[in-house]
Amino acid sequence: MNGKRIVALAWKEWREIVRDRLFFALAFIVPTMLMLLFGFGLSLDVEHLPFAVVDYDRSAASRDYTYRFISSRYFDFKGYAGDARALDSLLADNRIRMALVIPPRFDEHLARGEPAPVQVLIDGTFPMRAQTTQGYVVAINSAVSLDNMARALSAGRGIPLDEARRRVQPVKLEVRYLYNQSVKSIWSLAPKLIMLIMMLSPPFLTALGVVREKESGSIFNIYSSTVSPGEFLLGKLAPYVFISIANAMVLWALAVWLYDAPFKGDPFFFAFATLLYVICTTGIGLVISMLVQTQVAAMIVASIVSIIPAVLYSGMLLPLTSLSPGASAIAHSLPTMYYTNIVVGSFLKGVSWSALWPDVLVLAAYAGSLFGLGYLLFSKRPKS
Amino acid sequence: MKNGFFSLAGLRRLRVMTWKELLQLFRDTALMVFFLYSFTGDIYIAASGVSMQLKNAAIATLDGDRSDASRELLSRFQPPYFRPIGELAAARDSITLLDDAGAMAVLDIPPRFQERLQRGEQVSVQLQVDTTNSVLGFLASSYGAQIVGKYGLEAAARREGLGGMAGPVLQADTRIWYNPNQNDAWFMGISELLTVVTLFAILLPAAAMVREKERGTIEQLMVTPLSAFQILFPKVIAMTLVILGGSAIALFGILGPVFHVPMRGSLLTFFLITALYVFTTAGLGLLAATVARNLAQVGMLTVVILMPMLLLSGAWTPPEAMPDWMRILAYISPLHYFLDAAYGILLKGAGMDLLWDSVLAMATLGVCVFALGMGRFGRQFG
Repeated sequence: MNGKRIVALAWKEWREIVRDRLFFALAFIVPTMLMLLFGFGLSLDVEHLPFAVVDYDRSAASRDYTYRFISSRYFDFKGYAGDARALDSLLADNRIRMALVIPPRFDEHLARGEPAPVQVLIDGTFPMRAQTTQGYVVAINSAVSLDNMARALSAGRGIPLDEARRRVQPVKLEVRYLYNQSVKSIWSLAPKLIMLIMMLSPPFLTALGVVREKESGSIFNIYSSTVSPGEFLLGKLAPYVFISIANAMVLWALAVWLYDAPFKGDPFFFAFATLLYVICTTGIGLVISMLVQTQVAAMIVASIVSIIPAVLYSGMLLPLTSLSPGASAIAHSLPTMYYTNIVVGSFLKGVSWSALWPDVLVLAAYAGSLFGLGYLLFSKRPKS
Repeated sequence: MKNGFFSLAGLRRLRVMTWKELLQLFRDTALMVFFLYSFTGDIYIAASGVSMQLKNAAIATLDGDRSDASRELLSRFQPPYFRPIGELAAARDSITLLDDAGAMAVLDIPPRFQERLQRGEQVSVQLQVDTTNSVLGFLASSYGAQIVGKYGLEAAARREGLGGMAGPVLQADTRIWYNPNQNDAWFMGISELLTVVTLFAILLPAAAMVREKERGTIEQLMVTPLSAFQILFPKVIAMTLVILGGSAIALFGILGPVFHVPMRGSLLTFFLITALYVFTTAGLGLLAATVARNLAQVGMLTVVILMPMLLLSGAWTPPEAMPDWMRILAYISPLHYFLDAAYGILLKGAGMDLLWDSVLAMATLGVCVFALGMGRFGRQFG
């Protein structure tokens, strides 16, 4: 290892990146742009669900009931539909996501103190949204049921309404939301976006940077020079790690100041873990670049290899607890899950070394083995 | 129109150029291997096992009462939504457990729960929920509220002698359409297929174009009698053919046989719309190619185009939940219309009578983007 050669190589690579203005700008713009887009746009809050009502009863009770949905911020009333058949095409055309059908004699049933049937139709195309929608509907229905019961009890026994309300609801559930008191999705999302974006951008940059030399043939200069494979890899990758670290800092700042995500952890611990993670993702790019010959292939492999694990198997959108055993094994074999633990721990939970050292250890092992693999795959005497 | 596009010579040129593009594509072995993987293995991984629902959330309990009533309430937190992991000794354990992500929720029942319940007082039980993932946090508290609410209503009915559930309550008959069993694989699988199609539709034509620019072979094409359109269009045809082939493999090789995705609508319509979509999106790729000078730039530009498209079109996040200005942007994303059409045909069995507006919007976008790309290309090399 010769330090001078590494520095010279890193400097050459840096000049090359800087001179390609568009590439250099995009290397910095892309992560920030993604952070802004995802932060403002990737909302998992299910709100303003468009819905329609078919009211066969047309009574005060049915209008009251409909009004409960209209006044809820979770639903967006699109109007009354003539009959249940009209709902078919409204649902199929994505005009509404939910529909209520209130059968005739709804009012009569309730007035007689009998259960009144209603029908709820939910568009199940997006299972997560369907489940949340169902949660809202059940909540409104049980609130209405409780009110009705309380009113019936108060009328029947001649007790005050408040007293009746207490009697029909003997057990009350108080929910305490920990770590994210207002259940804002941006708080839990912004830190994880750092994980996502740092998974997308470094492999892309690195793979392109190395394969570019291969495709244009300038790598033969390296092959014929005195530079050793280890020196080449370190010098070549240093600028990409540097760019990615700078990006990670910008993303951290955006998460904390723009999205107001609370950072409760130890900044030094977080910086160290982030450095390891960036080295890991750069290493992924390195391994990809060793396996492919053309930049097109490098781009495709980098995006397929990084997007899926980052989005689906990191615990970002999807709970790791609900993964099947096979999927859980995939999740455990990828670095994203461990860094997600670190990000969530550092931001929302305020824990550090004591709770997260195993995750850091795994990341370090990853970084080491990816670079080791890249080193083994890199040969100055290519076969073809 | 001797050498025009629709003349015999024009068509032959088109065929020859398309064949050239296909050959060039097939000879990049690493690329083709990964192409096949994307349409099979990748879709399989995305569709299997991944679930956006709350399943088996670990719930710990703090029973301060240890009575029949408290045990009955605790016993109702069961799979599929909850998975009881046992009782905690002290209140401070619950925070440690939640910190370590050992449990998703802790249910805390106060002392004298049964006694107060029998006396007719209103008792509060507490549910502490880890809302690091806000969607799950919401679902956990919503299911918790349902369980406790039902328990409370039954207890009240017993005490007040209301006779079971027969009061003026609502009996909701909830039907989930199009995917009654809430099978995530259908949604995730189709969504991943559309993502992969989008990725290739942008990247392949853009890369094919810039590669010619980078290597200088574009100059060779420019001195031939081919018009700009005759150079660009075969690239798009070749990529469209390849991507359609990939989609067919994914649909008949993975989504159909492995995950039993229903194909309720007409598959011919699906493939025609896919072809139109690939054409439109390829136009975006070619537009990027006229901006970029080398492949590395194309790669970064692709990310700039692809990511917002995936995000804004409603593949991951419901359009209803986006800010208004973003929802407007979704209308200029061809993927937005393609998503509607693909889910509509495959899951909902929609036909052209419902989808014509999406198709029209997509075609309009395609023509505009393509014309813009052609114009820029013509000025660069004309």
